[in-house]
Amino acid sequence: MNTGEIIAASGLWFERRGWKPFPFQKQTWEAFLKGKNGLLNAPTGSGKTYALWVPIAMSLKHDLETPGTEKGGVKAIWITPLRALSLEIAQAAKAFADHLDIGLEVGIRTGDTSQKERAAQRKKMPDLLITTPESLHLLLASKNHAKYFKNCRAIVADEWHELMGSKRGVQTELAISRLKTLCPQMRIWGISATIGNLEQARAVLLGPDSGHLKNSVLIMARLNKRIQVKSVLPEKMEKFPWRGHLGIHLLDEVIPILRESRSTLLFTNTRSQCEIWFQAILSKYPEFAGEIAMHHGSIDKKTRLWVENAIRNDSLKAVVCTSSLDLGVDFAPVETIIQIGGPKGVARFLQRAGRSGHQPGKESKIWFLPTHAMELIEASALKKAVKEKAVEDRIPYLLCYDVLIQYLTSLAVSDGFYPETLYPEITSTFCFQGLTPEAWQWVLNFITMGSQTLREYDEYRKVEIMDDGLFKVNSRGVAMRHRLSIGTIVSDAMLTVKYLKGGYLGHIEEWFISKLQPGDTFTFAGRNLELFRIKQMQVLVKRSKKKTAKVPSWMGGRMSFSSQMSALLREELYGINAPEQPSLSEELKALHPVFERQRKESVVPGPQEFLIETFKTREGYHTIFYPFEGRFVHEAMASLLAYRISLLHPISFSLAFNDYGFELLSDQAMDIEQVLDNNLFSTSYVHEDLQKSLNSTEMARRKFRDIAVISGLVFQGYPDKQLKSKHLQSSSQLFFNVFRDFEPDNLLYLQAFRETFEHSLEEGRLIQALERIGKQEIVWRNCERPTPFSFPIITDRLREKLSSEKLADRIRKMKLQLEK
Amino acid sequence: MHIREINIHGQEFQLHPYGAAYWKERSTLLIADVHLGKATHFRKNGMAVPEETMFEPYKKLEAVCERFKPETLCFLGDLFHSYINNEWLLFETWVRNATPELILVTGNHDIIPEHKLEAVGVSIKDEWCIGSFLLTHEPCEKTAYFNICGHIHPGIRLKGPGRQTLKLPCFFQKEKQLILPAFGEFTGKYIMSPDKTDRVFAVTPEEVVLVSGE
Repeated sequence: MNTGEIIAASGLWFERRGWKPFPFQKQTWEAFLKGKNGLLNAPTGSGKTYALWVPIAMSLKHDLETPGTEKGGVKAIWITPLRALSLEIAQAAKAFADHLDIGLEVGIRTGDTSQKERAAQRKKMPDLLITTPESLHLLLASKNHAKYFKNCRAIVADEWHELMGSKRGVQTELAISRLKTLCPQMRIWGISATIGNLEQARAVLLGPDSGHLKNSVLIMARLNKRIQVKSVLPEKMEKFPWRGHLGIHLLDEVIPILRESRSTLLFTNTRSQCEIWFQAILSKYPEFAGEIAMHHGSIDKKTRLWVENAIRNDSLKAVVCTSSLDLGVDFAPVETIIQIGGPKGVARFLQRAGRSGHQPGKESKIWFLPTHAMELIEASALKKAVKEKAVEDRIPYLLCYDVLIQYLTSLAVSDGFYPETLYPEITSTFCFQGLTPEAWQWVLNFITMGSQTLREYDEYRKVEIMDDGLFKVNSRGVAMRHRLSIGTIVSDAMLTVKYLKGGYLGHIEEWFISKLQPGDTFTFAGRNLELFRIKQMQVLVKRSKKKTAKVPSWMGGRMSFSSQMSALLREELYGINAPEQPSLSEELKALHPVFERQRKESVVPGPQEFLIETFKTREGYHTIFYPFEGRFVHEAMASLLAYRISLLHPISFSLAFNDYGFELLSDQAMDIEQVLDNNLFSTSYVHEDLQKSLNSTEMARRKFRDIAVISGLVFQGYPDKQLKSKHLQSSSQLFFNVFRDFEPDNLLYLQAFRETFEHSLEEGRLIQALERIGKQEIVWRNCERPTPFSFPIITDRLREKLSSEKLADRIRKMKLQLEK
Repeated sequence: MHIREINIHGQEFQLHPYGAAYWKERSTLLIADVHLGKATHFRKNGMAVPEETMFEPYKKLEAVCERFKPETLCFLGDLFHSYINNEWLLFETWVRNATPELILVTGNHDIIPEHKLEAVGVSIKDEWCIGSFLLTHEPCEKTAYFNICGHIHPGIRLKGPGRQTLKLPCFFQKEKQLILPAFGEFTGKYIMSPDKTDRVFAVTPEEVVLVSGE
């Protein structure tokens, strides 16, 4: 069959099901069958699985029917970021495979796959293997892995935009670099939702300057889905809270939306918020019992699958969820989305909107529910951003020595590797294109000697160099610990939540449970539970009749506004002062009373003004700066400024920041004139000053936590064998300290600082923002009390600290804080 | 380095910022939880703790011995983190040159055979009664004695104006007990919850500061 015939045959299969292939699907079939690599830009739930699986399966059919073709091993690999998605992809792939009737087998290999099934797969690999980056690396860490892959013809990285912005993207890049050698005939494809840097995404996936990239295409689905964005507004703005992140005050406004829509997804930003909303709806509107459900990552997998099916079967009116439902295939009955609180990203907001209105021709409907007054400005800016499709970039990681060390150890655990042959593979990836021979040697020394020079009595043992130059792990203990720690998603220790009488409820972070005493009540999985006791890694609970309960809060990643979104936000805000306001959005109109109050206490700044507010409360002296540049830039600017002020005289600061501005809080009054006279917003020496400020805050230390785990410095313990590994447990904090004191040139230690600069501080944007401030007029208001603008910032509890006072002096000002 | 003096049952104890306590009347230096050999134990298992860390405890031991010139140095348990490894050679060398008499009150991590330690000149005790004092590794609640011990690696959390917080290692004194902070560098700490009668001495690199109690 030639390409045209294959496409016609596949089209027939679609027609028999009453579907019509989209143009982008046909385009992708053609490109694949012509031997191209590429990146497909298509939203979740648009039929993207068939865009790639159809041509892969058809060409497999062609190959397998050709006499003399080798039949062993994996023929195609499908990488997905979430285990939960693998099942849906497998079902879709199987439907088409069965139609072809040539015995194509579809298999899943993720962290959920049983030992028995893994062993069976090792004997006979499925033709299509659906897996995660971690599980793929585990395969690369098994002996004789080359034979599994030698007949592989295609690899697909699904939801590539998700993977690319994380270290799991680096894992994927490295796995592909290995497979390019093992199976030269393999075609490489990615599927990505819309992000700002799609071209770069393609280069990261295929390898910069690679033959694969030269022979590749970028296909855009261009489905032109219409999206309707509305805000949930209260009837009376006077009672709208100035702070908070729950949004429960708008519960009554949400109910009519739920009633009117066939099915609704309510997206919350954290799992605790999800639990609270679910409880709140049920307690105030008990008639929804049985018609609403909850879905988040800590809930038992069976329950989650049940909820997902119930959405598809149209048997639920609403589901309160978190990002756990961001990805995955169609939920056709969903008509409406409600986003509670700022989504912190246009791409994410669009993705969520796209979960509704799946029938052709229908528009997606999304409601934005602001949790505090200031978020209404964000809502107004978001509307514009959706119209202009101002979508953020995903920034790929560079030179992740931690992931490289993990990967090299994986290869050493399997059949071993020769550095000379591996080096070109590694430098062919986007992440490691700048890997110098010196850094490469450093990494090799690190895994073989645990340092850069060999010492006589040292007993370091991990990777050994055999007589013929092969790098190999021979210790079974090292190999076992390494296999258990493969993976780059780092989380707190998770404990299993179980009923005393049996029955599994889900997982919960250790640090939350450690704050509770037996007898305390907490909310989990929508139930009020009483803590009975903690036994090994299990939390045993009973049902509780108490009404009030603590809600576990989960630490989620905090996102920041992109520069485009920040610009839109400033534009909206500055529009308020304009004399003529014909186009003022309903959100900004609703905010009128808040702006009145802000003007009374302080000012609403215009485009030429940079606002600084100072006031005193019981907590101390607050100074708030409003650059409106997004959280990350504010975090950087706050550290920079705090550091520069701390050079003038000994002072301690607590720093807080959000997308609008940042706060420096101190027990001493701050002299703003002094800040201005000393030109502390200067762009000179920004890099040096930031570097120094990082030494005194926790930012780099937090980045190092992941690095220590990924590179295998810290071992998190054997599952169910907590005690045995105790002698080998330490914390990344301790490692950070000893590197700082004894090996400050350690590449892993330095990586923590570089990652902070590249991924958290956005130094480039900081300098632009400082330049902008340099041109603005500084408006300093000494206020009587906290202003509406300042409220969400000063009440933020997640803070950084910076001090130039002597430790003993600080201690003398402090009191004991008793553990609760 | 500032020393903090405290008086217990008419005896003077000098608390050193390194986490050592010097009992003046008995010329005895008390040190808990050194965890020697930890770096090598980790390195043997493929976790690259910088090798330099293994020399640190000896530098600190020499500094406190130089400062107090004790007749006796008593380790309150967990002297060694693990089985014998090459750090034992460093320890042997240090013992050979040490002037005070060395005593180890054994702890849960001390799994090195006693005869090995005795052979280099360290006496071993399960616990040690001196007058009204009882020296142990793990905290012990025998009512007749004042107990000095280690094991817990006590730490304390402090809160100040302007939302400042700090976590520091500490000496923790109860009515009938003094718990020493860990002397070893590469160790964590356990945050204590003192009540009004407890005295807590926070440890900074330069000073020992009373933060709770009279």
